[in-house]
Amino acid sequence: MNRSPTVGSIPGGGAGHSIITTRNIWKSFGPVEALKDVSFAVRPGEIRGVCGENGAGKSTLIKILTGVYRADRGTVLVDGEATDIRRPQQAQELGIALVAQELSLTLHQTIEDNIWLGNRTVPLFHRRRVFRDRAVRALETVGLGSLDLDTPVAALSIGQRQLVEVARLLTRNARVLILDEPTAALSDVEIEKIFAALRALKQEGRSIIYITHRLGEVFEICDTVTVMRNGEVVATHHVERIDRDRLIELMLGRPMGEMYPDSSSRSGGPLMVVEGLRIPGVVEDFHLVAPRGQIVCIAGQIGSGAAEAVRAIAGVVPEATGRVVVSGRPLQLNSVPQALASNVMFISEDRAGEGIFLHMSVLDNLVATRLGEYSRGGLLSWPALRSAAARLAGRVGVSRTRLRARAEELSGGNQQKLAFARSLERKEPGVLLMNEPTRGVDVGARSEIYRLMQEFCDLGYALVMTSSDLEEVMGLSDVIVTMYRGRQVARYERGQATIHRVLSDITHPTVEAVA
Amino acid sequence: MSVKESPGIGLGTASAARPLPERVRMGQNARRKALTAVRIGALVALTVGALATPGFTSTLSVLSLLTAMSFIGCVAVGMSFITITGNIMSLCLGATLSASSLVFMASLGLGVLPAFLAAVAFGVAVTAAQGFAVGYLQANPIIVSIAGLALILGCSDYITGGQRIYPAGGGYQIFKEKVHGMPVEAIILFAAVAVGQVMLSLTRFGRNMYMVGSNPRAAEAAGIVRWRTVTGAYTLAGLFTSVAGILLAARYGSGDMELGTGYDYDAIAAVLVGGTAIHGGGGSVLRTLVGVAVIAAVKVILILHGFSQQMQYLITGLIVLGVVMLHTLGESR
Amino acid sequence: MTHTFALRRLVDPSVRPFTILLCAIFTLAVADRGGGRFLSLATAFSVMQLFATLGPVALGLGLSMLIREFDLSVAGMLSLAGCVAVLTGAGNPWLGAFLGVGVGIAGGTLQGLVMTGLRIRSVGVTLGGLLTFEGITHVLTRSQTIVYPNMRIALVLNEPILGVLSMRSAFTVAVFLIAAVVMSLTRIGRDVVATGSDRRASRVAGVSTDSVVIGVFAVSGGLSALAGVLLSYSLAAASPIALSDVLVPASAAAIIGGVSLAGGRGRPLSIGAGVLILCLLRSGLNAVGASPYLHEIATGAVLLMVAVVDAPLLARRVRSWRRRLSSSQLRRDGATYLSPPASSG
Repeated sequence: MNRSPTVGSIPGGGAGHSIITTRNIWKSFGPVEALKDVSFAVRPGEIRGVCGENGAGKSTLIKILTGVYRADRGTVLVDGEATDIRRPQQAQELGIALVAQELSLTLHQTIEDNIWLGNRTVPLFHRRRVFRDRAVRALETVGLGSLDLDTPVAALSIGQRQLVEVARLLTRNARVLILDEPTAALSDVEIEKIFAALRALKQEGRSIIYITHRLGEVFEICDTVTVMRNGEVVATHHVERIDRDRLIELMLGRPMGEMYPDSSSRSGGPLMVVEGLRIPGVVEDFHLVAPRGQIVCIAGQIGSGAAEAVRAIAGVVPEATGRVVVSGRPLQLNSVPQALASNVMFISEDRAGEGIFLHMSVLDNLVATRLGEYSRGGLLSWPALRSAAARLAGRVGVSRTRLRARAEELSGGNQQKLAFARSLERKEPGVLLMNEPTRGVDVGARSEIYRLMQEFCDLGYALVMTSSDLEEVMGLSDVIVTMYRGRQVARYERGQATIHRVLSDITHPTVEAVA
Repeated sequence: MSVKESPGIGLGTASAARPLPERVRMGQNARRKALTAVRIGALVALTVGALATPGFTSTLSVLSLLTAMSFIGCVAVGMSFITITGNIMSLCLGATLSASSLVFMASLGLGVLPAFLAAVAFGVAVTAAQGFAVGYLQANPIIVSIAGLALILGCSDYITGGQRIYPAGGGYQIFKEKVHGMPVEAIILFAAVAVGQVMLSLTRFGRNMYMVGSNPRAAEAAGIVRWRTVTGAYTLAGLFTSVAGILLAARYGSGDMELGTGYDYDAIAAVLVGGTAIHGGGGSVLRTLVGVAVIAAVKVILILHGFSQQMQYLITGLIVLGVVMLHTLGESR
Repeated sequence: MTHTFALRRLVDPSVRPFTILLCAIFTLAVADRGGGRFLSLATAFSVMQLFATLGPVALGLGLSMLIREFDLSVAGMLSLAGCVAVLTGAGNPWLGAFLGVGVGIAGGTLQGLVMTGLRIRSVGVTLGGLLTFEGITHVLTRSQTIVYPNMRIALVLNEPILGVLSMRSAFTVAVFLIAAVVMSLTRIGRDVVATGSDRRASRVAGVSTDSVVIGVFAVSGGLSALAGVLLSYSLAAASPIALSDVLVPASAAAIIGGVSLAGGRGRPLSIGAGVLILCLLRSGLNAVGASPYLHEIATGAVLLMVAVVDAPLLARRVRSWRRRLSSSQLRRDGATYLSPPASSG
């Protein structure tokens, strides 16, 4: 695939005296090409931001650098020498280290223990002066010098925990630190501390690969930025030579496709009204109006509280408080049976963990929420259940022959359709809440799911969803609500917002927008 | 964000249930088919072995087989509910059984039926309390059952002073009789299996049990009130266990705290050999019945071939170990 | 302000067992009413003898609970190792002991390998192990008590030292001390706690969690075997031991000793205190003339209390009941709302 580098970009991604370089990396998983001809290089003392939408290939690239995957084609060079990184251990020895989104600290243990956890160079009797001193020095470098080594990690804030994980990497002589969305759950103060730590590391000549959705941070802390899209590196630029709008353009690329159905804005009255929804520490003062027949999309990144707000309305969050009214009747929060009784249905973002029963049959999954409707004299009528399941399966496009198969044998798209099927055939149209409805769903199934959503709208349901796929948000929604750090930023009707505006809202809203 | 589920002791670290990539799914299907083939093969081998053993098909053997099965079978049926809802096992069903036998014998003065109901009420109360702790508070099921075991043993010791309880009245002999050649105990076992299976496959409550055991979070998200299902499962376990206690008391003519020794392990062994997964969400009472039959048949075959009782014990243990390992090979968790 | 702080320190899980121990000693001493039956060397000796039997088993079980597993097979290994030692040690007691403990370590390692290799949870495997070990014991002993001819060993092991200890119990105390040193001062101890606290995180950080699991089960098997060997030698006899006699006190001791049901917390010395509490209750109640059933009831009650206190949902349920009670209280007090009241966070 030929694409000429964009003007002002750094040719070859900045190779030359680099610590780590990838040249023409290709990686596929079956028919899916995750990385296409990726060339990428980072120098010592450089902080490289990496931006891209979900599915752009960032995490696959990282996994190749850290030895979790091996590239199908292409070379990885460490200090200029071609290296085949086969195991995570090897990557560690080479000085390549990752701070993942999910931290790997053991909360019960102290800071010192966590710093040295899993380090092969530590001897049997590990409580020695020299190790304590090294731990203290690592903590000082990341700005945690004031903390006592014997503090249990559970007592630290998330930002501090992240820094402890960085300190651990320092004691392993990490030369390239990869941080995956480090600031998603942090307060401003903690973000500043992280930045101070990163600058200190930069002074020591270490390199940092900083993966983030938050474009403002790219401009604040990074020297250079690489944009990825659809498995390719689109461009690499010095941060001074590019601006936010251009960055967004590079991330989004071509205009959106045509898989989104036309919105037949059937606006009925408001089916559900949410006011003052609050989840302590996560969501503050959230409100929403969900009109019949329309799709409301809540756009926001991890840490914005969008998914949590939806979960709260669904009744799955015990600490949530607020007022929700459905069809004029108040809905009690924190209770799933109450939500179901008010016709508020939920499709979880965690399909495998919370959405469907993987080890049970498709049939069982389909009828899970409506067993009460098919019993005679206290006993279930399986013929009735089977025909109901067949009907539901048919309506969502899952073959009836698969009724007896286990849910885990279905593709991600078909599993998601099962979740939708559960919400069909209710006595009256209700509210359908969805978090990331097309996550892990291939393109073919996606369009079917969009068709399903349209069907729900036509039936008079009110749909409320969250999505981190902005194309999807722009294509589907009748109303867009943007969120940033637990608060609402703005609300747009269809046609009122551009994708740039939305992306801007959720990544770094202007001061006025955040009240 | 969603709270990480903490299953606690003995349940290992819950591997995040992830949808499986294509090639793993294919491999799993093949493995599962192979496992079923192994199971069917083993059953066929067992049947052939049984029929080939001289004396196995004699009426005496069959009758003693059935009677032995009835006691363990009832407890095993009760244990199945606890396992299916994902609570592994209870270590105090044996003690519950013994204590119910005491209650039954002591209440016979009021008549057979009241004594029956009293014993059942006792068993149900004891297990329902545990079920409440496990369901409502998510207390660790194994520890709660061990606590229950100690409390039952202690209280029974206090009340009986370690003595046997002789029948306070008559009428219990009906449990020792035969109807058309079939022992009443076996009839009760089959009735228990029937009731249990009907509950599991044909009631909402039964389906809820499967869902809670398969994926507790998804069950809650589907609107199931988890603690009610769990408490109910334990209640059923108490019901069937106390019935077994009544039968045993009738057979031996007295209530005794020793009656139930070892039943917990026999019951869970039967549940596992029958093919119910130990982590819940699958299996059935019918499978447990098969498990009971298999273990009993193996024991009888061994006896008829002259193996000592100790070898039977050992071989049963090895079978359980083998089954647990085989079963996991058929599923990746 | 200071006494609530001190109180909280005393109830802190790692200190709790010692507090309970002191309370137990105090209560029993009071119940004795100066009769001299409880606070006597004889009682202390019998407590320590019991400690020698129960202690290692509880320690092994506690370690398996630390890593969020549960070794059901400890009870079976206790009797199996004793039988092996008695059967093979007639000529040479060291040989018997060596083989007995070796069987324990081997049995534990095997179970550990099955668990990590096949990715099964411990309950199923150790259940099979328990039944198998018991079975082998029954086969070896033909379900009878086997006499160990070497009486001299029994005398040596049971000879009172300083009136309170015996060789057996002194050895057991030494084992606990070694375990305490390993757990708090070595890298191994840290890795075990890490594996129990968060296995996934530990693995990602580079801890070889499979080795930890196998090691813990090997140690657990070895410890119960050790207890079994010493017990059989000191009784000069071996026989299959009733399962509930061991499992209940061992798990109670571990839990009272502060091992957290959710893994990641537990210390050998605290487990030792838990074992002492149980042994104290048993011997002490005997000495004071209380009936034996009290011991079972007390153990069961404490176990149940700890299971409830450590239950994950307890806090949440209590909070929601408090909320419900307070909002109904407010309504009764005549507060009015324009819209349904938002429940107080």
